[in-house]
Amino acid sequence: MRTQQSIEQFGYRQELHRGVGLADLVFYGLVFMVPIAPFAIFGLVYAESGGMPVLAYLVGMIALLFTASSYAQMVKAFPLSGSVYNYAGRGIAPPVGFLTGWMVLLDYILVPSLLYLVASIAMNDVIPAVPVWAWVIGFVAVNTTINLRGIRMTIRLTRVMIVGALVVLALFLLVGVWALLQGKGRGFSLAPLFNGDTFSWPIVFAAVSVAVLSFLGFDGISMLVEESTGGSEQVGRAMRLALVLAGVLFITQVWVAALLVPDPDGLLTSRSDTAFYDAAAVAGGEWLRGVTSIATALFWGLANTLVAQVAVSRLLYAMARDRQLPAFLARVSVRHSVPANAIMLVSALSVGLGIWMSLRDDGVGVLSSLINMGAMVAFVVLHVSVIVHYTLRGRSGAWWSHLAAPLIGMAILILVVINANVLAQVLGLIWLALGALALLVLYLLGRRPVLGGVPADRF
Amino acid sequence: MDRLPLHHDLYLIAHGQAGKLLIHPASMALGLAGAALLELALDGRVAVARGRVAASVPAADDGDAFAGDLLALVAGEPGDVRTPIKKAAGDAYERTRETLTDSGVLRRTTRRVMGVLPTTRYEPADIASVVRASSGARSAVEGWRQPDARCAALCGLVAVLRLEEELYLDQPSGQLVGRLREISRESSREVAELVGVVEGLIGEAAVAVYR
Repeated sequence: MRTQQSIEQFGYRQELHRGVGLADLVFYGLVFMVPIAPFAIFGLVYAESGGMPVLAYLVGMIALLFTASSYAQMVKAFPLSGSVYNYAGRGIAPPVGFLTGWMVLLDYILVPSLLYLVASIAMNDVIPAVPVWAWVIGFVAVNTTINLRGIRMTIRLTRVMIVGALVVLALFLLVGVWALLQGKGRGFSLAPLFNGDTFSWPIVFAAVSVAVLSFLGFDGISMLVEESTGGSEQVGRAMRLALVLAGVLFITQVWVAALLVPDPDGLLTSRSDTAFYDAAAVAGGEWLRGVTSIATALFWGLANTLVAQVAVSRLLYAMARDRQLPAFLARVSVRHSVPANAIMLVSALSVGLGIWMSLRDDGVGVLSSLINMGAMVAFVVLHVSVIVHYTLRGRSGAWWSHLAAPLIGMAILILVVINANVLAQVLGLIWLALGALALLVLYLLGRRPVLGGVPADRF
Repeated sequence: MDRLPLHHDLYLIAHGQAGKLLIHPASMALGLAGAALLELALDGRVAVARGRVAASVPAADDGDAFAGDLLALVAGEPGDVRTPIKKAAGDAYERTRETLTDSGVLRRTTRRVMGVLPTTRYEPADIASVVRASSGARSAVEGWRQPDARCAALCGLVAVLRLEEELYLDQPSGQLVGRLREISRESSREVAELVGVVEGLIGEAAVAVYR
């Protein structure tokens, strides 16, 4: 009842059916994050971290646990299904919400391109005769058709996909550990966690800036707050649980893979996109390479794109409905009950960017860095929102959750952003500048950002 | 002949001659529930203002069970106008179809696809009922007759459900939708507001995480 009243307070009413429990929230987050996400970017994280991918994932998990804590606080204050766009807009000010939404849009709008590219690289590893760009077109065509037909993930399908991914992961771990016991690879070692020869904090944070990609999507759980049986409290718990579960899975798989890498020194410089599949081949032979490649293609190219498409459509729809993006993005197809314009826009972008990036050696790295840059900046603003909303405006005495935790989380993320790929930093700044320009145009047109329940004249 | 309830007219317009639904079931259900609430509002049985709804008369059995239940829903839980529409949409389609079948407007037919798989369709028993359902909206668009509030409501719903082609008017789609929206807007405040609410709900349904 309290949640219901809170929703009404912001000019909305709870409309979505409350029927999603804790386990399904966690499963949804896991599908969004992909339990086998490191399969695709392992080579990149290995190279960036100087051969310490486990440390990169550990630091990434800790950083995002602070972010999850701030999400939980903002979901509690504003129990609306939205994104960080909503929380920054309501917690700080609508113009800040616009710019945060703009930055997180970089993450959401590029994610499908990366998913298609990774899935295509995985399929190209299985069938090299078909070039990556052709796989990109194929994946986009299949997914666009599915999305335009209005086919969605269901709770049951989410569970099936999670079980499927966990079976493949268990298979890899069993075969991998068995191979290590048989003397393949480098045997058990702590080097993937800490290597004194290569360790330095800038290297670790640079690697975290790539590794966090695997965790992105945990925030998607907040979209289900209005359907959650336990309201905002349960959503916060689910985020933490999903992050820890994913972190444990990621750390375990990259640890085993790092010990099986056939040419560790070569991987430090080559940043191979197929390093994980090479490690799988060392452990179990070509069949395990095939299984891990196809699992990546299916999970990234089909399951994850379904949820990613819904997420980006929701954000585009919400911003367009609030008149902060062109109105055509808020139009939906009544015939299929889908946001057809948003789907077509994202598909067109995905084909263009996917093909362009498939022709670059560092395509996965560039896309990952850009996506992470958008998300990291948005998460920093989320931490600021907690401090502004609770500590500055609300005079909260909960110093840990409303001041210290967001400050620590923000500090880690700022270090990650500072040490990220320079190209990503430059493009991120250009994107932010474009957002500021768009905001200026909105003001000049007399359409200053306004969110339901937040008066425009307050700012 | 007695006029059919608004949601019955909308049902008939939204189906092809073979009984095939022309739009997504979720959009249709919201449209039907919105149409029933519009009818209640135009009859003065519920009052709608600034996103809120309340019953003006006690719930009573007036022959249309669906509208009666919707009125009882509003009477039992006055407040946000979107709530009863969302709740009533749950079984709006099946109940409307059942009522139209019972009253003889629709005819249940079963065929076998490729001689094996049985499929059931609900076809109009008389195509004249479909023509009558859309005649008001056609007349309003063509300017043959001044639309009343009920006709304006139907025009608005036809526009937001993108059923303009079913009016069989020789006008470009965009222009026709624009005219239908204009008729709806120029009618009563309640019509404009409720049509807007239905459109908003259709948008939200289209971006829902789970259906």
